[in-house]
Amino acid sequence: MGIRFLTRRLGGAVLTIVMIVLLNFVLFRMMPGSPERILLGRVPGVPPAVVEATKIRWGLDKPLFPDQFVAYLAATAKGDLGFSYGERGRPVADVLLQKLGPTLLLFGLGELIAIVIGLALGAYSGWRRGGIVDHVGNAVSLVLYATPYFLLGMGLLLLFATGLGWFPTFGMTELGVTHASFIDLLIDIGRHLFLPLATVSLGLVGQYAILMRSSVIETMTEDYITTANAKGLTDGRILRAHALPNALLPTVSLVAINLGYVVAGAITVEVVFNWPGLGTLTVEALEARDYPVLQGVFLLLSITIVVANLIADLVYGMLDPRVRT
Amino acid sequence: MRYRFGVRLGRFIALAALVAAGLFPAGAQAGTGQPLILTVGTDQDLETLNPWQSITVADYEIFQIQYELLMGYDINLETAPGFAESFEASTDKMTYTFHIRPDMKWSDGEPATCDDALYTYQFALDALANEDYGYVGSGYLEPSLTNAGLESVECTDPLTFVAKTSHPTTILPQAYVPILPKHIWEKYDLEEISNAEADGFFKNEPPVVGSGPYVVTAWSPGDSITFSRNDNYWGTPGVPDQIVFQKFEGADTMVQALRNGELDYARGTGADQFDALSTEPNIRVSEGFSNGFTYLSFNTRATQKGYGGSTSALEDQKFRDALGYALDRQTLVDRVLNGHGVPGTTHIPPYQVKWHVEPKTPRTFSIDEANSRLDAAGYTRGADGIRVDKEGKPIELRLTWPDSEDHATDAQFIQGWFEDIGVGVDAFVTEEGKLLEDLLGPETDGGPADWDFYMWGWVGDPDPTSLLSIFQTSQIESGTNDCFYSDPRYDELFTTQLEATDEAARKAAIDEMQQLFYDAACYHVLYYDSVLDAQRTDKFTNWTNQPPDTGTPIFGYGYVGYMQLQDASAVPTAGPTTAATTAPGTSAAPGGSAVPVSPGNTRSDSTPLLIGAVLVILALAAGFYFMRRRGPKVEEE
Repeated sequence: MGIRFLTRRLGGAVLTIVMIVLLNFVLFRMMPGSPERILLGRVPGVPPAVVEATKIRWGLDKPLFPDQFVAYLAATAKGDLGFSYGERGRPVADVLLQKLGPTLLLFGLGELIAIVIGLALGAYSGWRRGGIVDHVGNAVSLVLYATPYFLLGMGLLLLFATGLGWFPTFGMTELGVTHASFIDLLIDIGRHLFLPLATVSLGLVGQYAILMRSSVIETMTEDYITTANAKGLTDGRILRAHALPNALLPTVSLVAINLGYVVAGAITVEVVFNWPGLGTLTVEALEARDYPVLQGVFLLLSITIVVANLIADLVYGMLDPRVRT
Repeated sequence: MRYRFGVRLGRFIALAALVAAGLFPAGAQAGTGQPLILTVGTDQDLETLNPWQSITVADYEIFQIQYELLMGYDINLETAPGFAESFEASTDKMTYTFHIRPDMKWSDGEPATCDDALYTYQFALDALANEDYGYVGSGYLEPSLTNAGLESVECTDPLTFVAKTSHPTTILPQAYVPILPKHIWEKYDLEEISNAEADGFFKNEPPVVGSGPYVVTAWSPGDSITFSRNDNYWGTPGVPDQIVFQKFEGADTMVQALRNGELDYARGTGADQFDALSTEPNIRVSEGFSNGFTYLSFNTRATQKGYGGSTSALEDQKFRDALGYALDRQTLVDRVLNGHGVPGTTHIPPYQVKWHVEPKTPRTFSIDEANSRLDAAGYTRGADGIRVDKEGKPIELRLTWPDSEDHATDAQFIQGWFEDIGVGVDAFVTEEGKLLEDLLGPETDGGPADWDFYMWGWVGDPDPTSLLSIFQTSQIESGTNDCFYSDPRYDELFTTQLEATDEAARKAAIDEMQQLFYDAACYHVLYYDSVLDAQRTDKFTNWTNQPPDTGTPIFGYGYVGYMQLQDASAVPTAGPTTAATTAPGTSAAPGGSAVPVSPGNTRSDSTPLLIGAVLVILALAAGFYFMRRRGPKVEEE
């Protein structure tokens, strides 16, 4: 991989992040309504002097440019994203960190399972095109691909939590229960994780399987596969050494893009299962018009997606020499 | 080696199944020996543990479980013993003497005395006198002290708290200010308590030191709060060992959790869910009146200098009065609230049974009446059927509401009715921050009151003063009196009721104020919406509404609702206790065990094994299938 390729990709990513930081400033300053009024809320009888004092305390009396802008850049560079309006007294970075873990757990694991099962199913379906696995797998994949997360989640919840009572309905741990040991805690989280995880995995598995299947089928028509067959290579060897590496290319992009959403999560899954992650936080912040938190979420999500795309580019470069220019 | 792929997949599935099966038995945690936990789901965020920062109902609930007010509230919303056992007022009602309960302790064992009450009230008084602040935190608690005219406080001995007011008052004992432990709070100054962004802001993190029946011992901000019993609480301990609040982003999930026995209380269910729950076994529903109202407010200074209303008609009481006849409030209640509410009249809601009064001549819905009143007031219809104002301009009103509330359906109805009386309506939603700004008139530095009429709501205290105070002339400047209502008689009566020393005189003043404001037609109160809560009855019994006829068991005033609760398993009833494991709609299995059962922790033991077995079989079948498929296919190619 050439230095030029690396610097171009890295430079592009850094530039995008800088643009996001700028956009973040402009976008949230364009929100209607003055911040000091939002800060004070609908307090009955706030004297104008108090409004003025609030403005000064928050630096809102200074001009937007350059004072507020410079202060914003300096703070953002230091990782200071301000304070949550809602969760009073908590820095936005803390709020985000608290919710990042559960989301990473849910979607990281969900992605992993979906990638393994989806790619395997897709590869097998494509390899054995027209077989039972292909027919059934493809139909199921299409249905899962087309089903919105919240519908799938609600269905699983009604069936396995409300109907059969096998799994808890919401949250990450049992309410108010103190766990005797770390193992107990893990088991409790595992029980709570099962349904949301199943929703995420099932929701993702369909698209991976479908893409991988068509990719494998396309690869199978290539001349080098025919050549490999002619050389008398075994099926498995053709699949592993020739078909799969080439068929994986398009899926890499999809996986990378989806990895970006590991942090964004599928907001609806988290809301359906009341999972204490970034998705529920985003909805909550939207409802409460907690702009600093929204700004933080926005920054975090954009950066993750940029980084995920960068990784995709680099991996792509490693897999396919043609793009290393 | 060509079949390794299939074998691997099979192994993976088998492994996954085994892992899954291993997780299940853990679900069947024994119910016995576990603490008795009251689990409460709420639609509101759990944002702060610092009482001075409280804004929402959930914030209030968090502090009122932990801290005594000087005087508390009983189940009928009457004054009850709190931090003080009793009080007496001087004959001029300007000096109040509170007798602090002897030998009371904070949850950390420190003595709770008059010093704590003095610290708390003096802190509020100092904050109010501070020029940079003028209030503390979110500014919602101390108005109960200013309204009472509190001037000075002192401790004449460790158990006697004396408060002096600048005018006669009867509302000081109802002041909604939690008494905080001085030894904890005095370490922080106004900035650290009031300004959530200050360095060293005091979040009051657990374990919280309080005097109430429960104190917060764990807090996951924005997610859940755990309260544990305060062993130093002066009264009879509550039955639940712990109380846990859980925030829900989706009401659907909250209601399912209640159905599944994982929650004992759901606050703020939707109307449809509420109706469905009301017929389900082991569930009790409570429809409480909210202590507030939803209204239409008019820009009554529309075309005056500095105001941005679209027509002078808005300034005409006769015009606004006529519009009041074109509002079918019952239909709004039926169609928007699914019947869960009461059509509105005056600005003191019926929740305040003692103070609400119906207007002498209520505006009953009649399009004909509205039309004839508009005709009589001189608003003639133009060629297109739209009425014109005195300047000859067609009347096209802008109707808006904040995006934090859903009033689109109300707006559609209003649009339809107003069309029938020849008044055009352009309805749209406005971002809340922008709306707050738009509403302000030139008296406030915002301005220029660029609006015609809008929908929103107010919520009151147990005492009517806070709702009455909004419409004083003096509140125009602060931006609170958003319809620019100004009547010297109303202002005079506000003082009269505030300083009245006997209830009958106060009631007479408040009655007249409601009538005056109703007649002025600055606001049209649309409805008093209900609070729809639901409770499980198989873990805790004796849910008691506060107040009994119009309230909900908890999320009221004080903590009395929690103290009524009884352990369902301790009361030998015919009702089964294992109902939680059955699906809703099916009847519960008879003959539940007498062992205390906490539904959330209890699952049948056999089902996990069953699903584990099924998964293993599926995995084996899948593995077998893959291995079998491999052979013949290869030969074909």
